[in-house]
Amino acid sequence: MIAALGLLVGILLGLWFRPDVPLGLEPYLPIAVVASLDAVFGGLRAYLDGIFDDKVFVVSFVSNVVIAAAIVYLGDKLGVGGQLSTGVIVVLGIRIFSNVAAIRRHLFHA
Amino acid sequence: MPDHSARTDVQLPARVTMPLLTLITQQSLDEDYLHVAERRAAGAPPPPRRLPHRTAAVVIAVFGILVTTAAVQTSRNADITDAGRATLVSQIGDRRATLSELQDRIVRDRERNVGLEQRLNQVTSTEEEASSRVRRLETVAGFIPVTGEGVRVVVDDAPNGDATQAVRDEDLAKLVDGLWSAGAEAIAINGYRLTVLSAIRNVNVAIHVNSRPLTPPYTVEAIGDTRTMQANLLDSTLGSEFFSLAEQLGFVYSMHNVDELSLPAARFPRLRSVQAGTSADQKTHMDEETNP
Repeated sequence: MIAALGLLVGILLGLWFRPDVPLGLEPYLPIAVVASLDAVFGGLRAYLDGIFDDKVFVVSFVSNVVIAAAIVYLGDKLGVGGQLSTGVIVVLGIRIFSNVAAIRRHLFHA
Repeated sequence: MPDHSARTDVQLPARVTMPLLTLITQQSLDEDYLHVAERRAAGAPPPPRRLPHRTAAVVIAVFGILVTTAAVQTSRNADITDAGRATLVSQIGDRRATLSELQDRIVRDRERNVGLEQRLNQVTSTEEEASSRVRRLETVAGFIPVTGEGVRVVVDDAPNGDATQAVRDEDLAKLVDGLWSAGAEAIAINGYRLTVLSAIRNVNVAIHVNSRPLTPPYTVEAIGDTRTMQANLLDSTLGSEFFSLAEQLGFVYSMHNVDELSLPAARFPRLRSVQAGTSADQKTHMDEETNP
């Protein structure tokens, strides 16, 4: 409940302030979003499994975002930024899908 | 060196041996949740509960900001992208217009080119005509030395004859005129080129050509078609007159074809008077040249 409230507040804040992303960080924003999505779904699944932990969630969220951005940054420096972001998105996508599958199992018992 | 046989006995952990995709799918949930849960089940003291999941809510709020920012950014960039696309489209239109203009120019230039080529052809043929005319005139007028096949006639006075049996100017003139009418293009007597202005004249006993005295025997060289010139000469009135005269007076003469004759250029005649002509004059001159 409080988490949903937090999400709402975050969206409202984003809409209200419309923070301007520096041009240099722009390519990393989508990757950061996908990585944080993975952390959020992981946290939701852990919550439904009954093993949710604040600290683990925060650490996984921050590290996911930072590592994903760092990989893409490294790829940019090596000249394979596009390919590396694709790889990161594929791996995170697989994780998101299997997490969502577990969540679905919990919610609908199917 | 480490002992490899001892190593194979050690059971490798599952995350080392498992294929990557399977690993990703199976470990989609962060293992840390499991570790913490296990530790808690083992009897570790649970963390002090304050308001439930306040940190998580803050992180979720950050997540919301991230997503919103990304969405806002993308929609903002969409305008820029659209503007760029519109610019590109208008540029494409501009370039197309330029292209069609250039193609029109190509077509125009091609047509002009064709016209110019036709004119060039005309001019070239006119030039060829003129240069061949010049060449013909130069040959007839003795302006340039001429080389080619031809006929050589050698005439000499009658041996042991009196003065009346000597070759005279009118005899040579007859022969030369006969050669002209037989189709000769250039004629020389004893190496002196004859032109339309040349005169063959007797001064005392000697024959003068172009005011230069000749000594017998007289060698008349004519350039022309060797296949027909001798026959034409014998056929022509002047030619047959000359030969019958030569028989009567007992001239020593011989006539034979020569594969290569070289006639020198005539001496430059002095230009005495010039008159400005008109195109009609030129036409008549051309007619005269083609039908002498």
